[in-house]
Order: sequence, then C-alpha cells, then structure tokens
Amino acid sequence: MTLVRLLWRQRALVAVLVRRELNARYRASVLGFMWSLLNPLLLLFVYAVVFTYIFNPRFPGGEPYPLFLFSGLLPWLFFSGTVLDASVTLIDNGPLLAKVMCPPEIFPAVTVVSHFIHHLLALPVLFAALVVAWLAGWHPFPTTIWLLPLALVPWLLISGGAALGISALSVKFRDLRDLVGHLLNLLFFSSPIIYSLDGLDVPPWLERVLRLNPLGSLVELFRDIAFTGKVPEPRLWFVAMTVGVAGWVLGAIVFGRFRETLVESV
Amino acid sequence: MKGRLCFSGVRKVYRWRGSRVRNESVKGAVLGSWWRRRTVKHEAHVALDGVDLEIVPGESVALIGPNGSGKSTMLKLAGGILKPTEGDVDVGGRVTALIELGAGFHPEITGRENVLINGMLLGLDRKEVESRLPEILDFAGIGDFIDQPVKTYSSGMYVRLGFAVAVAVEPDVLLIDEVLSVGDEAFTRRCLDRLARMRQAGVTMVLVSHDLDLVEAFADRAVYLRAGRIRAEGDVGKVIARYRADVAGRTTQPRKDSGSDVRVIEEGRRWGCGEVEIRSVELVSEVGSMRLIPTGTPCALRIRTRADREIDNFVIGVAWHRADGTLVAGHNTDLDGLVPRRLTGESEIRCAYDALDLTPGDYVVDVAVHTKDGKAYDYWCKALAVKVTAGAEWPGVWNPPRQWEWDDGVFD
Repeated sequence: MTLVRLLWRQRALVAVLVRRELNARYRASVLGFMWSLLNPLLLLFVYAVVFTYIFNPRFPGGEPYPLFLFSGLLPWLFFSGTVLDASVTLIDNGPLLAKVMCPPEIFPAVTVVSHFIHHLLALPVLFAALVVAWLAGWHPFPTTIWLLPLALVPWLLISGGAALGISALSVKFRDLRDLVGHLLNLLFFSSPIIYSLDGLDVPPWLERVLRLNPLGSLVELFRDIAFTGKVPEPRLWFVAMTVGVAGWVLGAIVFGRFRETLVESV
Repeated sequence: MKGRLCFSGVRKVYRWRGSRVRNESVKGAVLGSWWRRRTVKHEAHVALDGVDLEIVPGESVALIGPNGSGKSTMLKLAGGILKPTEGDVDVGGRVTALIELGAGFHPEITGRENVLINGMLLGLDRKEVESRLPEILDFAGIGDFIDQPVKTYSSGMYVRLGFAVAVAVEPDVLLIDEVLSVGDEAFTRRCLDRLARMRQAGVTMVLVSHDLDLVEAFADRAVYLRAGRIRAEGDVGKVIARYRADVAGRTTQPRKDSGSDVRVIEEGRRWGCGEVEIRSVELVSEVGSMRLIPTGTPCALRIRTRADREIDNFVIGVAWHRADGTLVAGHNTDLDGLVPRRLTGESEIRCAYDALDLTPGDYVVDVAVHTKDGKAYDYWCKALAVKVTAGAEWPGVWNPPRQWEWDDGVFD
C-alpha cells in the first residue's frame, strides 16, 4: 500500500517518463503512433490467413478461430511485453538510479503504463474485427463488451505485480533476463490462449495441471467478455480478481524486499 | 532545518554474496544458499565506519582522501541514493547531486524533453521546470540544438545541459562529485562562477575532489577520509597539509600553534621580527569568508593581528598579484593617509572594496605589517589565495563595470 502511495505521489513523473518512452520508441519512424494500431492489425491479418487457409483448428465455441485466438492473445501480449521489458528496465535506467536520486518503483510503473497504453490502442482493432465478423455473419457480436474495463483490472494488477517483482529480481539475479523469455513461453502454452480448456482432448492429469495455471482464469474472463459474449460466472470473476490481487501483492512484497539495496546492485 | 546535513554514527557496509564471483545467478542463489551458509562467509566491504559530521546551512565542506576512502559513498548517502547500514543521515531541504552530469538523458528525445524529465527527477514539478527553462537554456548555451535529440549533442553540450538543469533546481544542499573536472576550461570556469554565486546565496555545498587547489579555493572546511573514517577535519589548509603528508608517507610534526614562533622565517614566504603577528587573513563578503568569489562582489580583506606590546609605529599593507606574478594592486594604510595610533593585543583591520572588479583567475594576496621605514613586523607573502570567477573570460586583470553606447544602427 505504501508502494501505491509512493507511486501516486510520483504520478507526474511517471506520466512524463511514459511519454518519453512512447516518444523515443516512435521517433524517426514514419508512421509513429500508428504502429500501435498497425501492429495488432497485421498480426490479426496473418492469423486470419494462416488459421483459415493453412490449418484450421476447431474448438467448440472457437469459431472463427482467428478471432478467438486474437481475443486471447491481446491481453497476453500486454502481460508478456510488460514482463519482458520489466526485466531490463531497472538495469537500463541504472544511471538514473545511481546518479540522480529517484525512487526505483517508477520504472516498472512506467513499463506497465506504457504497455497498457499500447494495449488500449490495440483494442479498437479487436472491436473492429468483431464488428466485421458480426456484419459478415461469422460470429454474433459480444454484447458483453462493455464489461471489458472490469476484465482489464486483474490483468493490470498481475502485470503490475509481475513487473515489480521481475524488475527487482532481475537486478539481483542477472540471468533471470534470459530465463524470463522461456518462462513466458511455458506460461503461454499452458494458458488457454491458442486453445480452449473446454474442448481439450488431453489426459485428465494434464487438464488438471492446465487448470491450475492462475493466468487461465484471466484469459477466460477476457475472452468470455470480448469474444464469446457471455457474462462470466461469479466464480470466474472471483478467481481472476484473486489472482490479480495476489500477483500484485506478491510482486510488491518482492520489490519491497529488494528496494533499498537495488542501487548497489544495478 | 533547511540546508543542514548531519551524519551521526554512520556505517555503510556493501555486501555481496558468494566468494570470488558476485552471485548473480538464480542457480547460484537456489543451489548455493545451503552450501554457502556453511562454507563461505558473506563478504563485505566497510565503506564508512562510524562517521559523525555536522554541516551547518550555508557551509561549504570538501571531502578529500584517497580513492576508495568513502567520499563518494558519503555523498550518495547524503543524496539519499544509498541508505546507511547503521546510523542516521539527516538532510534538511532539497538536495541535488552533481554526480554525473546529464545522467539519465535519453539519447532519442530532444534536449527540451530531457530537461523536463531531469528537472522532475530532481524534484521540481512541471511548471517549475518550464518557468526555469529560459535560464537553463541560457546557461547551457546550446542554442537551437535544444530541440534536437540528445544523441546529436557533443559531449560538451551534454555536460553543459546537465549542469544547467541540476543547478536550476535551486537546492538547499548541493553535492558535487568531481564533476568540475569534465568539460573545457571555459565551462569549468562558468560552473565555478555559478557555484560561487550559489554559495553566496547560502546554499550548503559538499564537494568531493582530488583537485586540492580547488578544494582550497572552494571550501570553508575540509574533511579528510581514509578507509571509511574521518582522519582530520577543520581548517582547509591544515587538513590538506595532513592529507599531503599522509600521501607522502609521513606524519606532520605537531606544529606549535601561533604565538611567538612566527619569528622564525618561513622559507622565503614570511619574515619579520614578530612583535606584531598577522593571525589570519581572509576575504569576507556578506556571507562570510570566501576563497572563491564572483567578479564584482563587494568584499573586504579582514586582517587579524596580535601585538604582545603596544606598537605605535606601524603600517599595514596589502599587495594583490595574479598567479603568474603580475602585480595587480598595492595599497597600505600610510599611502592612504591613515595615522597609526596603537596596535595592542588582538586587533582586526578591514580593507573594504566596493566591488572586486578583477578578471577571472587566480590571485594571491601579500599582507604585511611593518614600520613606517619598512622594517617588517610580519611580512607574509601569499597570505591568501583567492579565485575570482565569472561567466566569461576577458584578457587583462581589470574587469570594470561598463556600459557600451552607440549611435543608432551600429548594433542590434
């Protein structure tokens, strides 16, 4: 909680740093901020071609597959991008930490916020795709989409927690940076992003393992709202929110433990 | 209290786990923890060991000592970048650290944006940075480059901008770590001038430097650190002498403090019969004693003397030289028409200057007390060294206050 208060006090600084991050990223590129929109669009296009014409996996409730996949992938990209960047943010900003006095928690915060902005910019693409699919009669429009801000809450919480925890840990243990990519890969395939847990034909033990993945509930929540068009069950809400809060708290605790000595290790 | 800085019983230990290689791997942490617990002790480096130091508002203190003696650690503790392992560091007001100029500039974005971010990192809010922007740009003097990405800057421009931002924060305490040695001479002079002005404005300063001449010019007090402990503290000249002596591998002879032994001629520098002794010579301005003084500052030479018996035949004289030996000015009480009455016990004589209109550079002051016919009571060459600073450099020694006037159309 003190961490939240510290961050709130630094909100102006975080805002400026986020702007810097975004400006620096798109500086000297012709399309600039359009890339935030174009990236997901191109991604969707590639998936649409590959998963319609090259091979076409089928899941109950997973039609059309490109859209199904896309609705699972978007929040995942937000999460994984945040975590990957968080693993280097403190090291990259080492000079600032060591030479200028500044609170270290602002850097993971900046990572989360700038990725969240990218995520928000990608959502219109999803929305447009849903409208197109509805007009073409491929998929009914999910009227639950207005609940989406709520579904983003646990995603934001867990990404924030992960960013805090990973950023501090990767300063202390440098090879975490290499490990993070692989851990994310593992997490990706164990989350119901490219498949749906309902239509799985796997041994029961494996299904049980997959259902243990805490991120699964967040993916399902998002997809129920933004693709399937059903109001998620209260149980799913509860699990997802609990996972989000737990992720945040865990990350904050890890960060708090290392906070004081970060500067010495950077 | 604003501008106060207090170290009490500060100990700082850097720890690293593992033996030779710093333990930076997950494997090491997971597999190594139980193993290490019984084999290798935690290695630690004691950077500071029981440091007590109090710096009052407006004071300039220099930290000197060999590399690794804990000077930079002290600065970082004062700046809140590091936390003490034991003890307390208490700082009043806003602190700015000039540790690495331009640290944290992002190469891809413009100077203007970087100034904003750096200013905010140093504790200003957005509006404050914006209102100080003209002043910052003026000092940095980088012109239109301000709207170019910082990666296009020369290293000099980079450093200038960094310095300009850091001092624009108007801190109560300014921490300076060797930053004055970067940049060209003109820049260093401008920085010194700026720092001298801030000092006059009452900013507390802590300076770390290996440039002992600078330390002598800049600080009111010096602290000599070695191996994490304070070895000597106090008068700049004495502390530097102690440090130099230590570096040379010997200890100084405990010198008898003042008294009658001034009779002894100090090798080509000081002589006299000793009936009157010059106790101290200082250049004082409104804010106190200064060795680093911006050009044009009103100031006075304060000469303290002591006479064991009453003396009625005396002249007090002052000569200013440039460091290269050029005589700049010479004046004495006799030439200025003062009639001596008596000098007895402790006395203080001040020679006040409306404005020190000298060009920037190093100056030395000789001070003498002698009889009307020139017999020296105490003739002290180079009794005081001062550094005059300015934002620019002019040839010559006189820097008169001036005003250019012209017919219409000659200048813009």
